[in-house]
Amino acid sequence: MANGDFEEFVVANGGSGWLSSWLPLWCPTSMPLLKEAEERVLKRIASPHSKQHVLISGGNKIWTLIFSQTFSSKTPLVLLHGFGGGVGLWALNFEELCQNRSVYAFDLLGFGRSSRPQFQIDAEKAENQFVEAIEEWRLKMGLEKMILLGHNLGGFLATAFTLKYPSRVSHLILVEPWGFPERPSNADEHRPVPVWIKAVGAMLSPFNPLAGLRLAGPFGLSLVQRLRPDFKRKYSSMFDDNTMAEYIYHCNVQSPRSPAPLDCWDWDAKEEAFSTAGKREVFLSGETAFRNMTIPFGWAQRPMLQRIDQMHPDTPITVICGARSCIDGNSGRIIQSLRPNSYVKTVVIRGAGHYVYADQSEDFNQKVLEICNSVD
Amino acid sequence: MFDFERGWNLSFAGCGFLGVYQVGVISCLQERAPRLVEEAGKVYGASAGALNAAALVSGACFAKCCTDVMDLAKEARKRNLGPLHPTFNLVKILRNGLHKNLPENSHELASGKLCISLTRVSDGENVLVSDFSSKEELIQALVCSSFIPIYCGLIPPSFRGVRYVDGGFSDNLPQYQLKNTITVSPFSGESDICPRDSSINFHEVRFTNTSIRFSLANLYRLTRSLFPPEPKVLWEMCQQGYNDTLRFLKENNLLTLADPSVDLPLAERINEASYFSDDGKKPVPHCRQLEEKAEMVKPYKELLGIQWPLDKRVVEKLPPNLTRALQEACKEKEGLYSQLCNILPMRVVSYMMMPYTLPVESAYSLALRLVDWFPNIPDDVCWMQEQMQIVVGAVFTRARKRLNFPQRKSSKLSLRKCLSLPPNLQLYSRFLRCKNYTCSSVDMESWFWETPYSDTSGKQTVSQNQISEAASEQICLVNSDDSGIEMNFSSEDFDSSSEVSAS
Repeated sequence: MANGDFEEFVVANGGSGWLSSWLPLWCPTSMPLLKEAEERVLKRIASPHSKQHVLISGGNKIWTLIFSQTFSSKTPLVLLHGFGGGVGLWALNFEELCQNRSVYAFDLLGFGRSSRPQFQIDAEKAENQFVEAIEEWRLKMGLEKMILLGHNLGGFLATAFTLKYPSRVSHLILVEPWGFPERPSNADEHRPVPVWIKAVGAMLSPFNPLAGLRLAGPFGLSLVQRLRPDFKRKYSSMFDDNTMAEYIYHCNVQSPRSPAPLDCWDWDAKEEAFSTAGKREVFLSGETAFRNMTIPFGWAQRPMLQRIDQMHPDTPITVICGARSCIDGNSGRIIQSLRPNSYVKTVVIRGAGHYVYADQSEDFNQKVLEICNSVD
Repeated sequence: MFDFERGWNLSFAGCGFLGVYQVGVISCLQERAPRLVEEAGKVYGASAGALNAAALVSGACFAKCCTDVMDLAKEARKRNLGPLHPTFNLVKILRNGLHKNLPENSHELASGKLCISLTRVSDGENVLVSDFSSKEELIQALVCSSFIPIYCGLIPPSFRGVRYVDGGFSDNLPQYQLKNTITVSPFSGESDICPRDSSINFHEVRFTNTSIRFSLANLYRLTRSLFPPEPKVLWEMCQQGYNDTLRFLKENNLLTLADPSVDLPLAERINEASYFSDDGKKPVPHCRQLEEKAEMVKPYKELLGIQWPLDKRVVEKLPPNLTRALQEACKEKEGLYSQLCNILPMRVVSYMMMPYTLPVESAYSLALRLVDWFPNIPDDVCWMQEQMQIVVGAVFTRARKRLNFPQRKSSKLSLRKCLSLPPNLQLYSRFLRCKNYTCSSVDMESWFWETPYSDTSGKQTVSQNQISEAASEQICLVNSDDSGIEMNFSSEDFDSSSEVSAS
């Protein structure tokens, strides 16, 4: 980074920020805290792995976790996390999955420890930005072909990627994918909802999905622990404290002011802080992009089921659902009906909710290994 | 998909008045997959879920239970303040209803199979109760599991001498983490049988194990769980429970398990339906409309080859007796009085009169409650005393800690270093009970031997050996709980004083 940039940054930040930088942070979070939380998560993984920032175009970096099996010529498995997640959420799965093939996991652009750039407001363009980031990452990593596994938003993006670059994906695994069905036109037709409920809905709709968490400020972490005690239970075989809740909290509540420019922890992040300082939306970028891709409440603006029939017929798809999940398990059947001559399989895992890979990690790992072995 | 080899459990979430949803669920299970109910290993339940689970296990008539629940809801809605009105005695109505509806041998049927989730008052821990020696005990456990403090009353009921409150406070969906537990919850979220809302927001909240998704419909349900909606809405919920269960059974291919014997009620139901449709006066069965709509939509969908995810439209009718009960409940009262009460001016007047009528009604209901309370008074008073003691004790210790902390420090120092004790020790002189109080560490043993410790030893004069024995161990002279001051005498202190006394 040039010196001029640095000064520019100081000037830009000085006008509005010098006073606020003295005040304590409303949300007790920062990139170093996220890094520390992630390290605590990854410490428990016994398999040897390396982690690095992969530089892609636009100065963006993709935080990548690599479990490499140098002697294995098998197609590598790439894991895409869901909304509000990060690589750490796969903690229960890495060890089993990387037994005889390389496994890659990375934080999606705008999430976790990856860069948080400004996304396009248009849903299609934002989606494209995500997809291009995946493609550039693939090029940098030098992966010829891959088995792409996506959870939630990751499933949506994996499908979008496969639609655009079908030759790069030897098997598409969708775990509880988001954004497949269209919003039904008669959603609430026959249930009279009281006016005040509608009012609340209208009031909440302009906010980002996790605005409440940031609003809670210093209570945010305990809010996560209070509202989602299930995360502790899900990962209880690995952590007996609130490591996971902390990791999730820091993943999602990065605030615009958090990377302090003067006592930086590493050069990468410092650079990031300079390039993005002052833009409030920037640190929520993934979340904002997600919101731009949705219509109330939670439906995709460009649902996948409208496009999935354009997918290359040779790409096999497996949909993994949790039996208890609230995301509809019918997607698999519908995909099947839309691609009558292609391989589509639905796997339902009993006793699992939306976070299938954490709820019933053993069953999940076994199913994924089966699928991978069917590839090569 | 469903593994019958390894056994399975049922778990019903606590949900207040939304228990009607579970009535729909259970009636569908009983009708379409009786094996699932009969051969279930355990049936768990909290709060309203426990009531339903108990009715299920003991084979109570669900139509009657449903009538009672609807009556309860209507009773709760009758007054201006709803269920918070003082004359609405939920526990009493509940108890009477259970006495009436549960069969005499229900405790035998329930023991070992029914597990009721309770929250212990003393430490807030969850307790699962599954053996009952009498029907009375079973009912008491159910009442405990449904007792929401303040909403239901102030003094928590006791079960086998221990006070409990609503199981929902500690575990609202027991054993949900087991893979083979079929979880039933009226809140849309991550349960096996639950409503599927049209929103696909995947953010959720866990309230003591019950997963509740962020959705407006759930917000509405939450507000309605303690403040019941109109009977018609409850009916709809019951219907939805039935439909959701049917979908669950279909998804898991469990419908084939149905006994051939269920054909009979199915046939009856068709008659029933035609009977109701002939009867023009009755409120239009909601489901009928929907079914027609579903049939209209169906061919279109098949054309597209798409089955839309929200198969709410797969609508079936409730069992006949349940439908009848619900219809009875939904019928408007036709008397002149009730019509008069419903017109707007009358309602405005009743609201305006509330400041005057409420005290009278409160006094009356208070008197009634006192009469009911009479047999329990000794127990409850004892319990309240204990609680008061605990609370006062806790407050006292805390306050004392805060006030005494600096003093204690100084007194310790002064014992070691100064010849004269600080005057503030006189505060505790009544505990020390010394006659000739001398403020010198040199005379310390003279008041040491007059403490309770010396009383228990029963000796006023002690030989040198004994003193050294006593001195060899660190003695806490006066218990901090008794005096509020903690004095640890190290052996060093004693050695010096004992030498003085010996000389």
